[in-house]
Amino acid sequence: MSERRVWLPRWLTSEHPLPWLFPVTSLLIVFGLYPVLFSLWLSFFKRNPATRKEKFLPSWNWEKMISDERVWDAVQVTLTYAFIALFIQLVLGLLIALLLDTDRKGFGVLRALMTLPLVVPPAVTGMMFLLMYDSSFGVISNSLYSLGLLSPNTPILGTASTALWGVIVADVWQWTPFMVLIMLAGLRALPKEPYEAASIDGASAIQSFFYLTLPMMSKIIALAVLIRGIDLFRIFDYVKVMTDSGPGTATETLTAYAGTIYFKSANFPYASTIALATLIVVLVTSSLFIKIFKVKF
Amino acid sequence: MASVNISQLNKKYGAVRVLHDLDLQVADGRFVVLLGPSGCGKSTLLRMIAGLESITSGDVLFDDTRVNDVHAKDRNIAMVFQNYALYAHMSVRKNMAFSMRLKRVDKKTIDEKVTWAASILGLEPYLDRLPRELSGGQRQRVAMGRAIVRDPDVFLFDEPLSNLDAKLRVQMRTEIKELHQRLKTTTIYVTHDQIEAMTMADDVVIMRDGYIEQAGSPMEVYDKPNNLFVAQFIGSPGMNIIECQVAVKNGVYYATRDELFLPLPAQAPVEDGQALLYGVRPEHMVPGVQSAGSGDSRASGVVRVVEPTGPEVHVYAKMAGQDVCAISRERLAWEPGETIYFQPDTNHVHLFNKETGAAL
Repeated sequence: MSERRVWLPRWLTSEHPLPWLFPVTSLLIVFGLYPVLFSLWLSFFKRNPATRKEKFLPSWNWEKMISDERVWDAVQVTLTYAFIALFIQLVLGLLIALLLDTDRKGFGVLRALMTLPLVVPPAVTGMMFLLMYDSSFGVISNSLYSLGLLSPNTPILGTASTALWGVIVADVWQWTPFMVLIMLAGLRALPKEPYEAASIDGASAIQSFFYLTLPMMSKIIALAVLIRGIDLFRIFDYVKVMTDSGPGTATETLTAYAGTIYFKSANFPYASTIALATLIVVLVTSSLFIKIFKVKF
Repeated sequence: MASVNISQLNKKYGAVRVLHDLDLQVADGRFVVLLGPSGCGKSTLLRMIAGLESITSGDVLFDDTRVNDVHAKDRNIAMVFQNYALYAHMSVRKNMAFSMRLKRVDKKTIDEKVTWAASILGLEPYLDRLPRELSGGQRQRVAMGRAIVRDPDVFLFDEPLSNLDAKLRVQMRTEIKELHQRLKTTTIYVTHDQIEAMTMADDVVIMRDGYIEQAGSPMEVYDKPNNLFVAQFIGSPGMNIIECQVAVKNGVYYATRDELFLPLPAQAPVEDGQALLYGVRPEHMVPGVQSAGSGDSRASGVVRVVEPTGPEVHVYAKMAGQDVCAISRERLAWEPGETIYFQPDTNHVHLFNKETGAAL
């Protein structure tokens, strides 16, 4: 047992919770709570773009947001993006995890390689795909042209109907490994015996998957959906780098729209309002999700 | 129901051979216990019978049908695992009905069977509970229920009681035995607990390092062990084994060690000067306060520990440098350090070859 260090103040060496809570609490207050409250405060002002003066009008921005069609378009894009990307990543992640869940030689290396996309910064991924989609030298575009699946007249990111898909592919490339990791961790932790019992009970591999693996993995799957869902809902970097919300507003998500208002129109109060609304939607949806699916973490 | 015949069965994991040319016949309706220390291959053998492990060479036959290449799900067996292997997300009812649901048995039959199994095992109040809401013993019963609704040809048990506490183990032991007497299904039961083996089995198969050391009825392997390993493995406390040399005194053969003169059975196949291992079970090591030996036999030691168990007293003593144990039903009060005299019962003395361990 070490003796109490006398040169430290008593409150710092005591078993009082305060010194231990202080660091993280102060971080949360400075970088979490303060910006949110400040945004809330900002959202109560009406900004005059001409005079650059702000006037206290609490409901102005909120009412404007409700009636702003561009916001509702952005909601639609965000939801489409989030649901499609989440679905693909979930299914793909689970499938790849099932394939990698083996003790056979070489698969350990594969499992490690699988994580590589995760170390690439999202903005770099965006740039990478931007180049690969380029209609004159991009490897993806050219492959699709030569297969006759795409016409050079309709560049992937430059066409309203395909631009969102183009961004989703980059997201899927980068984040499917994350799903694989979570699913693999879940699969590796499943007990073996129920599978043996099921095979003796007469279950085929497919029946075992549907009757045992899926139900036993449900909590893990719910957790993965929650984490990725929140991430996808506030998608910004890929859109910013690859399409800058274009063509037109075809790929404009909520956060991208908020970014545009903030950085291009410098209407800080309105941008804060949209960002806050996004936060509220994410909070409410994820809380409901946690409650309904009994997610534990 | 079916008999199980195993011939020349081998199992290798890479270069490691874990089972060596095993031959075993389990007659229809018998309760056979595979007994041995950890790593002896008994669970592997059971899993090969179940179809959960591949067979390197040799045959497994159910009745006269070779099942080597038959998938586990088509062997019509039922297995109870050490950790129960219940489906954690299914209720007790669904756990038991699972195999029938897969076979698309009609709902009425499933209900009947589940109710029948639940009534046998006393699980009726728990049918709608999840496994995690049950105690260890109840879970074990669910695992058994899942097995009996299948109406299998062969029951396989893989150390089903090792996760239970001592009292429950004794109770479940009786229940499993009762169940077998009722259903008369061929049963193969793996355990490392020799008490379980002795109390439950029609036949005990003792294994070591992938070989079968001896097979026979419980009393047979207890009374006539083939070798030193079986002698020491069966029985608790274990058989006393004393390294001795045969000597003749007044025309009578004795097993001697230092000042010990242990009596030998009348027709013992020994000769003067022969080195052997002298084995006698604790209950045949009759203790007394004074030398009660006949002739020149002398067996005395110093009491180390006295353990009263209730019905009997276990006395551990040091005799000519070797630890021995004796069991007495008389409540004699020995004190540590006291000299104690033994009178080994010559009708129950076992002699083993010192080199090979084989019974003489």
